[in-house]
Amino acid sequence: MMIGDGERGLHILGDPSQGYPPPPNTYRSVAYANTQPDQQRARWLTVRPDGEIEVYAGKVEYGQGIRTGLAIEVAEELRVPLASVNVLLGDTARVPWDMGTFGSRSTASVGLELRKAAATARSVLLELAADRLDLPASELSAAEGRVASTNDSSRAVSYADLVADHSIERNLDPDVVLTPSSAFTVMGHDLSRVDAEARVTGRAQYSQDIVRGDMLFAAVLRRPSRGAQRGSIDISAAEAMPGVVQVVVEDDLAAVLADSDEHATAALNAIRVEWEESAPDASSVELPEILVKTGHDPFVTQEQGDTEIGFRNADHVLESTYFVPFVSNAPMEPRAAVAEWRGDQLTVWAGTQRPFGIRTELAQRFEIDEQQVRVIAPEIGGGFGSKSPYPVAHEAARLARIAGRPVRVAYTRSEDMTYATARPAAVINVKSGFNKNGRIVSWQVDAYHAGDRPFLGRRGSETPYDTPNVRVTTYTSDSPLSTGSYRSLGGAANHFAREVHIDEIATELAVDPVELRLRNLAHHRFRRVLERAADSFGWKNAGPPSSSGYGVAIGLDVGSYVGMCLEVEIQHKDVQVKRVTAALDCGLVVNPEGARNQVEGSIVMGMGTALWEAIDFRNGRVLNPGFTRYRVPRSNDAPAIETLLVGDDDTPSTGAGEPGIVPVAPAISNAVFSATGQRHRELPIQRYLR
Amino acid sequence: MLTIEVNGQSHEATDLQRNLLSFLRFDVGLTGTKYGCGEGLCGACTVLVDGQPLRSCTTTVGAVAGGVIRTIEGLAEDGQPHPVQQAFVAESAMQCGYCIPGFIMTAVALLNRDSQAGSAQIREALALNVCRCGTYQRIQRAVERAAKTIRASQ
Repeated sequence: MMIGDGERGLHILGDPSQGYPPPPNTYRSVAYANTQPDQQRARWLTVRPDGEIEVYAGKVEYGQGIRTGLAIEVAEELRVPLASVNVLLGDTARVPWDMGTFGSRSTASVGLELRKAAATARSVLLELAADRLDLPASELSAAEGRVASTNDSSRAVSYADLVADHSIERNLDPDVVLTPSSAFTVMGHDLSRVDAEARVTGRAQYSQDIVRGDMLFAAVLRRPSRGAQRGSIDISAAEAMPGVVQVVVEDDLAAVLADSDEHATAALNAIRVEWEESAPDASSVELPEILVKTGHDPFVTQEQGDTEIGFRNADHVLESTYFVPFVSNAPMEPRAAVAEWRGDQLTVWAGTQRPFGIRTELAQRFEIDEQQVRVIAPEIGGGFGSKSPYPVAHEAARLARIAGRPVRVAYTRSEDMTYATARPAAVINVKSGFNKNGRIVSWQVDAYHAGDRPFLGRRGSETPYDTPNVRVTTYTSDSPLSTGSYRSLGGAANHFAREVHIDEIATELAVDPVELRLRNLAHHRFRRVLERAADSFGWKNAGPPSSSGYGVAIGLDVGSYVGMCLEVEIQHKDVQVKRVTAALDCGLVVNPEGARNQVEGSIVMGMGTALWEAIDFRNGRVLNPGFTRYRVPRSNDAPAIETLLVGDDDTPSTGAGEPGIVPVAPAISNAVFSATGQRHRELPIQRYLR
Repeated sequence: MLTIEVNGQSHEATDLQRNLLSFLRFDVGLTGTKYGCGEGLCGACTVLVDGQPLRSCTTTVGAVAGGVIRTIEGLAEDGQPHPVQQAFVAESAMQCGYCIPGFIMTAVALLNRDSQAGSAQIREALALNVCRCGTYQRIQRAVERAAKTIRASQ
């Protein structure tokens, strides 16, 4: 962030508000907008005196491979080997402000800004070399970290030599000419991750791994049910337990601080406390009913024509209701944070998607300046959207202040699955009118999404099919659990309802489901992902034998288009997904290997939601907060996955981390129908398979 | 007081009831072995004890007294990463990477026991570990690649 006085090298400065441009669609309000850039200019890139390139970005690495993606973009524009680019992420004291790593915007926004920073740096280096070599810049070219004469390659100078004795600051040129895709030598090529070795050797450090000198381990008293208030508390037995340094009771926070994790936990169990519980007498069994009954604030996300007239004129009318339960993000790394105070300076290591947002929150909590707070997001062990709120950072900071020593707060698996947010449950009613020729003429959706953040449920609710009469309404419903982000948010639920319903229309008319979709789809990018997936999968040859079934679905999320075909095999009422073909159009692909990896992960995650995953709860308690009773996909569930990247290089990059999940559950449901004749409108399918 | 050998170095343990995972991470300082579930169900905490894979999160220090422990930090030989580690890099078999040390230790144990392990055996052996990012196809390819490398060097 701050540039050391006279730090040698070439520094490219730019506008940090690029850390989150407004989303294209206005009703998708941005969450967590509590943080603002605290400076007008920030450093994006430095060419160091040793020729190494330092790149600074406020994004975080939580599995999506953004460090590699950004390094590739800089290596391309700056004409340096990938290995000489070091990307520093997520440290509020050192990187440009950023609103947060969500919404699949990293490549589209910060990636593009860094390309411009690198291209600016290259043009500055060419100017410097022209001076040094006494040649016109037009006769020079840059490659492999050097500038050389195009006529005489012996007349050359390395970037290191050009900047070694200077400290040069230049502003990023927003209109700098970027390398055209036809000339790419790094972008768009298959490259391994720049941080792979750290991950296979155990060197990669996550929040759970941070250990500071003199650090205390905390065990925090957790409420037994949602909304429970602490009554009387007796800490005397806990205080006498081995290794206990302090038992803290302050407002809503009670915790044991001890010399080890186990001592803290043991003492926590010795605290006697009375709770006043207030959670409603509701369980996951009544969830669909609760969602419909409490739906409020209708919001129309898509409207044209008149659906009633459409239904009256249609040859067929079909109406069905779909349900998706709450699901748990369950990242492999439970949330953890370590906080350390030095006087009024606070440093917190927290694996959050929003280091700057957490910095703002902490500064407000302790009534100090944001510059006195440093939040460092180390490697993050997954999150899939749910690590934007990060309560353990607050707990660690409060406890460290009280103790006067660094404090570590780390969720157990059970805490993580109980107190983190869940993907919102939803009930979606779809009514369609269509003609004998397979043309959909009327489409009406009423979608009830749980939770108080309406934009979660609006995502992906619009139909892409060419229908003259459309009305799509989303409602906000009361939620018995805390809801939050998840890969594609409500988009996956909305796609599930729509794409299963489209299959029901195909069944009603006895038309092939791929053919039916194509009859109603004019959009070039949608048609292409569907046709490419079906073609590569071999859809035309796919008949429905008894134990195998084939399913198809399409989707649009974060501006990227996806088509998917898959095959399931069902034996002893056990659904195995055998193979999946996905075609993704996310525009220009920076890192194809990374994009395919994300699509594969989205498919496996989507399988979990389709077949097994659902949070069970009763009276404000999560009943299955662990892997014993919450089944996630394992290696022997994994299908063979083929990912086709079918976008055009001249289309701007859109996200690759989320869209892959939206067609998975409907395609599996459709495949189970093709195998069994059972239509599954409720998830997870394994619970309902007869 | 007893002595435990971890990655070729002796360490003293005073508390036999100490959780082995916590001992390795916080007392010895080897944080490459991860906490994932605390119930032995996800495999992130897998270490080798006398060459056998063990879930360190559900084990005490006393239970492995006198044993030889190897963690992800101790796999390299002569500064060279283990063939399984190399294969995970070559196949980009990771996303967030948090589960990867556990997968690698599980795979090393399998291939130490049976370098002839085929695709189906590998798939079953790995089914005891969870990768929530869903990189199973890549992990499978990486372990098959490592098996080939190991067989070729025998």
